[in-house]
Amino acid sequence: MTDQSLSPREEDDELAGEYVLGVLDLAERSATEARIKTDASFAALVAAWEDRLSGLNDDYAEVAAPNLMPKIEARLFPVAAKPQRNWLAWLSGAAVAAALVLAVVVVQRPSAPELVATLQAEGQPLVIAASFGDGTLNITRAGGPEAAAGQVYELWLIAGENPPVSLGLIEGDTTSRPLDALPEGAVLAISLEPAGGSTTGQPTGPVLVTGVIERI
Amino acid sequence: MDDPVAQLLIRIAAQDRAAFRDIYNATSAKLMGVLLRILNDRALSEDALQEVYTRVWLRAGRFDASKGRGMTWLIAMARNLAIDRIRAQRDVTADEGAVEAMVDRSPNAEGQTIALGEARRVADCFATLEPDRAAAVRSAYLDGQSYQELADHYAVPLNTMRTWLRRSLLRLRECLDK
Repeated sequence: MTDQSLSPREEDDELAGEYVLGVLDLAERSATEARIKTDASFAALVAAWEDRLSGLNDDYAEVAAPNLMPKIEARLFPVAAKPQRNWLAWLSGAAVAAALVLAVVVVQRPSAPELVATLQAEGQPLVIAASFGDGTLNITRAGGPEAAAGQVYELWLIAGENPPVSLGLIEGDTTSRPLDALPEGAVLAISLEPAGGSTTGQPTGPVLVTGVIERI
Repeated sequence: MDDPVAQLLIRIAAQDRAAFRDIYNATSAKLMGVLLRILNDRALSEDALQEVYTRVWLRAGRFDASKGRGMTWLIAMARNLAIDRIRAQRDVTADEGAVEAMVDRSPNAEGQTIALGEARRVADCFATLEPDRAAAVRSAYLDGQSYQELADHYAVPLNTMRTWLRRSLLRLRECLDK
């Protein structure tokens, strides 16, 4: 289906243009977003298209938004105001992953989770659903591949300004481990580490996905 | 550097929370307009807006002022989130009220001056395309329409729409890069 006359570089540029235009389907977008993260020259093609088409941005009318800053700050900075229980907004916000978390919620009974987090990132196929309740942290890989041979996903808790604290390695599709407490509003993150995990006590590989811990 | 949004992003990358509030005040109306136009639903757009600014805080360090304007970076992030979400959930219901609220409001002078030069250049280059193809490109970009939705709307086969838009992109690139 590609035009026969195009060189690989031109095909890349065409794909970058289609991505920025927004016409690709979800699978194509995910594949393209993964490539943006790992291929700097492709990322530069995407940036060039964003710049080229930025003149169209003028067509977006401004619409006054409510002040959502308190909610955003509550998600990002746990010492700030207590987050509201906004179950519906959270649900619509992460529809796919939330459905998977819900599935976890149902399966998990009777130890119903009190806190959940969906770890994801733009352009990253990996999606991790975390839930915590009754002293148990459950981690499910809800999307994306296993770590490549010789590598492992490591889970980190980042609370406020404190350095990340390792919560262990993610092995297999589902992992459960005992945990005393999980601070609401803090961030969970997954980094890619060499087999056996980080030896420094801090993430050494790229952080792939993050999610904010929210109360159900 | 005449790019106040970029300066805020640089401060946010250094964990400056005051800059984070300032960028919300300065840019949330524009990003709300982007999200509402693509998602077509107030509640979904407000939820997406929270996610966009959460990402702004977490990713500001990746912004490179030498490679583009701050507002372009923010709008790309909002568009990408909104398009990923509508692709992920096809059954988004239209919120008529939200669309009307959007149409009634004209962009303020500030937002217009930022991209005026680029907007004029884009308009000139769009004028070189056949009218229905130019319209298809615009609605792909602005409304987040997929190839399939555009093919349905213009009643042409999917491959024809693909060819239309790919050729239009090549023409635009030639014209815009001049």
